[in-house]
Amino acid sequence: MTKEQRLKKRYSAEKRFKAYGIISVCAALLFVGILVFKVFSEGSGAFVKTAIQLELDLSKEKLNLPEKPTKEDFENIDFYDFAQQHILKIYPAITTKEKKELLTLFSSDFEYEVKDFILSNQNLIGQKVFFKITAASDLDQMHKGNYTRDIPEERRKVSNFQLTIYDFLLKENKISKIFNNYLFSNGDSRNPEIAGIGGAMLGSFFSIIVCLIISFPIALLAAVYLEEFAPKNAFTDFIEININNLAAVPSIVFGLLGLGILLNVFELPRSTSLVGGITLALMTLPRIIIPCRASLKAVPPSIREGALAVGASKVQSVMHHVVPLAMPGTLSGTIIGLAQALGETAPLLLIGMVAFVVQVPGTPMDPSSSLPVQVYLWSESAERGFVEKTSATIMMLLGFLIAMNSIAVYARQKFEKKWI
Amino acid sequence: MDLIMDNKIKIKSNNLNVFYGQKQALFDINLEINQNEVTALIGPSGCGKSTFIRCINRMNDVIDICRMEGQIQIDDKNIYDPGVDVVQLREKVGMVFQKPNPFPKSIYENVSYGPKIHGIGESKDDLDQIVENSLKRAALWNEVKDRLEEPGTSLSGGQQQRLCIARAISVNPEIILMDEPCSALDPIATAKIEELIDELKKTFTIVIVTHSMAQAVRVSQKTGFFHMGKIIEVGTTEQIFKNPTNNMTQDYITGRFG
Amino acid sequence: MTNDTHIVKSYGEELQFLNDSIIQMGSLTESLLTDSMNAITILDKDAVDRIVQSDKKINEYRAKIDTQIMTILVKRAPMAIDLRVAISALRISQDLERIGDLAKGSAKKIVPLPEDLSQTLLDSLKRLGNTVKNQLNKTLDAYIKKSKEGAIEVIKLDENVNELTYLSIKEILNFLSKDNKNLEFATNLLFVAKNLERAGDHIRRISENIYYLVEGDYYKK
Repeated sequence: MTKEQRLKKRYSAEKRFKAYGIISVCAALLFVGILVFKVFSEGSGAFVKTAIQLELDLSKEKLNLPEKPTKEDFENIDFYDFAQQHILKIYPAITTKEKKELLTLFSSDFEYEVKDFILSNQNLIGQKVFFKITAASDLDQMHKGNYTRDIPEERRKVSNFQLTIYDFLLKENKISKIFNNYLFSNGDSRNPEIAGIGGAMLGSFFSIIVCLIISFPIALLAAVYLEEFAPKNAFTDFIEININNLAAVPSIVFGLLGLGILLNVFELPRSTSLVGGITLALMTLPRIIIPCRASLKAVPPSIREGALAVGASKVQSVMHHVVPLAMPGTLSGTIIGLAQALGETAPLLLIGMVAFVVQVPGTPMDPSSSLPVQVYLWSESAERGFVEKTSATIMMLLGFLIAMNSIAVYARQKFEKKWI
Repeated sequence: MDLIMDNKIKIKSNNLNVFYGQKQALFDINLEINQNEVTALIGPSGCGKSTFIRCINRMNDVIDICRMEGQIQIDDKNIYDPGVDVVQLREKVGMVFQKPNPFPKSIYENVSYGPKIHGIGESKDDLDQIVENSLKRAALWNEVKDRLEEPGTSLSGGQQQRLCIARAISVNPEIILMDEPCSALDPIATAKIEELIDELKKTFTIVIVTHSMAQAVRVSQKTGFFHMGKIIEVGTTEQIFKNPTNNMTQDYITGRFG
Repeated sequence: MTNDTHIVKSYGEELQFLNDSIIQMGSLTESLLTDSMNAITILDKDAVDRIVQSDKKINEYRAKIDTQIMTILVKRAPMAIDLRVAISALRISQDLERIGDLAKGSAKKIVPLPEDLSQTLLDSLKRLGNTVKNQLNKTLDAYIKKSKEGAIEVIKLDENVNELTYLSIKEILNFLSKDNKNLEFATNLLFVAKNLERAGDHIRRISENIYYLVEGDYYKK
């Protein structure tokens, strides 16, 4: 083979190699794109809710309020009755069945919505105001186009009468889509229209915070001790092997550990972020120790020698000089570990965070759910309204993961700037 | 060439033997180093000069397999006595390394770190003063006085080495050990540091390991020639470079072997 | 002396080349001195031009050797024995050049002398000249062999040169006292004698440098 032929072969091999790389990247992007597209197209609907506009007559007579109403008077208002009256006014419903069907177009929470509105807008008493009430899930899905109208009434979720009212309201411009604040403020619910991920978000948040507070200091100090101070013998080798293995243990095993020890032996409250956090911390510990040790190993010995030569003790040389330099790698590892913990479902299921929790948790000691668990629960539900909510939750999860990884990249860059 | 004054002995090694595991690195070293003088240690690579000076500030303690027998006395006290505090020893004996290794912190913090941990400077004013003095004595102040907050690693190689010297002298040592301080530097930077050494010897006792006989001649008053872990010849630098008594010494410094 | 070669071959070659240059300059100087003495003893005035040209060549050698030494000092920063080789070469070349000058100067002095000058006068100069020639020969030999014994011998024999000079001068003054007409001739002959003595001094200095080169210290009696 001549020189030119050989050269040609090399160049074409290079081109092929580049092409393989580009194809791989494109394939990966394609898969990501498909995932994102599917999730976004399904989940974007969850961010809006259908609402029906009512005209509320806030006169004192209608509310049964005296001339100078006290706080107690307000508390005693029969909001259900008040709201129901106004609802029945929007369309002629004669039979009981029709009245029931009219009422069930609205979310079962409608009296509370009216109550909250009136109590926080007491200055509007005496006026007539327009107020939007959340629609029930079936109407919501209908309006979003997820139900077809072309099937017989028995198989539809929405009756013919309800459809007539719907068309009427549409003509009157009384139906609209507004931002779904319930998605973020509410906990779980049997009714999809008022179900939200607020509880799950806080639950995840508390779990991660607890996980971070427990795992980071312990992991950091353990890595520092093992790398800098522990004698190099068979025992420390044994510990290192075990830590490496622990990082690969399936997370559900940690769930069993949490169940057996935290719940059964220590009798900590079930289903709380505290227990979730501790379980996740156990799982995250080795995942922080390993990158931290690698970062410590990467610090050149000249730094340690420089510190020792100026009269620093071993501890001072490690804590003042070596550890700060190992921070970029450690932080990266920590945030990646936390991001993994954020997405863990299996261990949390075992310690009970699978419970149906309506209340948004106030502290880590309150029972709560977590985002991935919420996805699991809603994906199992039969109601159509939960489908878009499941995808919306996945979107939120992905958003958090991207945010956390971006923080990792940023933090790493910021620390590395000092290093050069 | 400076006149050799009758300086008293600052550092003395008695029958020093050093082992790395089974391998012996230094054999029966008996060497005296005088105060306020520059003593140069020369010899081919691997002959034990760096091992020797690392014994003087006990930096070899961090190497697990390194074991020594014999004594090193500073001011007539054996530094390997069990009661000796290594941290305090290193306050007294500073070291400058072959490759400049400033801390990846600001210039100010590099120089103030030592005094801070030894409690030499308490208030900010004290530390400011110490930093300024040290940088001035290291002939670096004028070049960095307007940018003390910049990282030490942003300086050129020669400036970094002077920063390391400033760092070493910030804790007011009595002895400064230099392990081939100029081998990573260009000729101008080397010249500046050699001039600095000449100035520093008025206050400190300096031991310098060097690969360049010309450098040893320029900076030192006393020279010791090491070969394969033994001291072959010790004498005034002038005598060594004009007319060494040992043939091996002559062969090494004239470049007939090494 | 160490026999090992320098790790940098070109350094060793430069020192060797310097050594050889000194030896060559020395041998030119020796020839010049011989020619000069021959011319003086038989009053060969035709040879003088040739002698002047030879001396020019010696001066050129000096300049060449100077450059070689400066190059070595700058390039190699020589130490110990190599340093002494360079320094002594510098001094020896200087002394050799002076000897050349003196030999040339002596030869030029015979030009105005009459053909029928007394042989006895020339004989004593001849003896002095031979002694000096021998000294030069011995010292060059000591340089080639780097022999301190050879150098010591030359240093000690300088006494003889001084004595023979003294004797020559006495005879020349005698010759002068016989007839005042001889003043000019006598003066020239005195210069020749003095030049030979000074050449002897330079030769002694060359040997002192050879001793310094070998021993590292100056010769003390």
